[in-house]
Amino acid sequence: MTIEDKRALLGHFLAALAYRTQKALRDAPANFGSFRMEDGVRTPAELVQHMTSVLGYARTHFIGGHYWPEALSTFDEEVIRFHEMLGTLAQHLRNGDVLLDGMTEERLLQGPFSDAMTHAGQLALLRRLAGAPVPPENFIVAEIRPDRLGPDQADPVSPDKVWPEAPTPIKTEPGENQ
Amino acid sequence: MTTAPVPTAKDKRELLRHTVATLSYRGGKAISNAPADFEDFRAADDSRRPGEILAHIGDLLDWALSIAVGKQTWHNSTPLSWKDETARFYAALQSFDSYLASDEPLGAPVEKLFQGPIADALTHVGQIAMLRRIAGCPIKGENYFKAVIESGRVGADQSSQRTEFD
Repeated sequence: MTIEDKRALLGHFLAALAYRTQKALRDAPANFGSFRMEDGVRTPAELVQHMTSVLGYARTHFIGGHYWPEALSTFDEEVIRFHEMLGTLAQHLRNGDVLLDGMTEERLLQGPFSDAMTHAGQLALLRRLAGAPVPPENFIVAEIRPDRLGPDQADPVSPDKVWPEAPTPIKTEPGENQ
Repeated sequence: MTTAPVPTAKDKRELLRHTVATLSYRGGKAISNAPADFEDFRAADDSRRPGEILAHIGDLLDWALSIAVGKQTWHNSTPLSWKDETARFYAALQSFDSYLASDEPLGAPVEKLFQGPIADALTHVGQIAMLRRIAGCPIKGENYFKAVIESGRVGADQSSQRTEFD
């Protein structure tokens, strides 16, 4: 496998992560960042901080050192820092920068990258538990591009026409787009 | 829906196979050793039960295979028992991985297979892990970059050599 192929696919992974994270955050209630399901379960703000942390950990395998991000004062700042980290990491991949200490592309994928993706799913779950669920869509046709890693992600190309689990006030009828 | 084969570098298929192996490893950890009643646990009245999420993951993997072979179909299945859905999870991973390992053409680019069903399944694994914590039966944390995850190893028999923590 060529390094370029691997790096390109990892870049696409980061783009999918950016898209799915914004999908989970779009139109969230103002206080969603501090929603605490129960003790011992991370709030959305803590989850995004952790996602930045694991991606920052991945970045240390390009630049060395350690990365322990402190909590920021607002959820918006956490989200912006997360997307900045995505962009920085993607740039290392595009540059073809050498991985340090025997790290491989496969281990980046199975470790911090996949970790962050599972947490994006947890953000979506917390939206549901906070009473503001995320509408479903067909992700295979979503506009996910390696050069689009910021908070400004595309709207769904193919939102589901039926959303059986929609909250009552906005439940859609069969055949009607969200 | 039948689609024309998409030329794909074998190299990219290999990295997708590693992602599938990662899904098996992480998913297997999230669903193993769950209490008997976990499949029916509801964190809220209108939230999916773990058994429903696991069935949805099975549907996603079936969908992935249908896309790969160029005959895309989606089916919402009725959840089986946790034990049977677990078996279905591994069987569906095996079928998809076997196709990726073959020389048969793909019906969609690797990137699309990844961003759709496989990324979706990973997010749902994260949800089951969070529900384990909410239900009071959390799984241990792990340094996954040290985990022994191997392309093609997609069954229940995953490595016991783990770097776990509470």
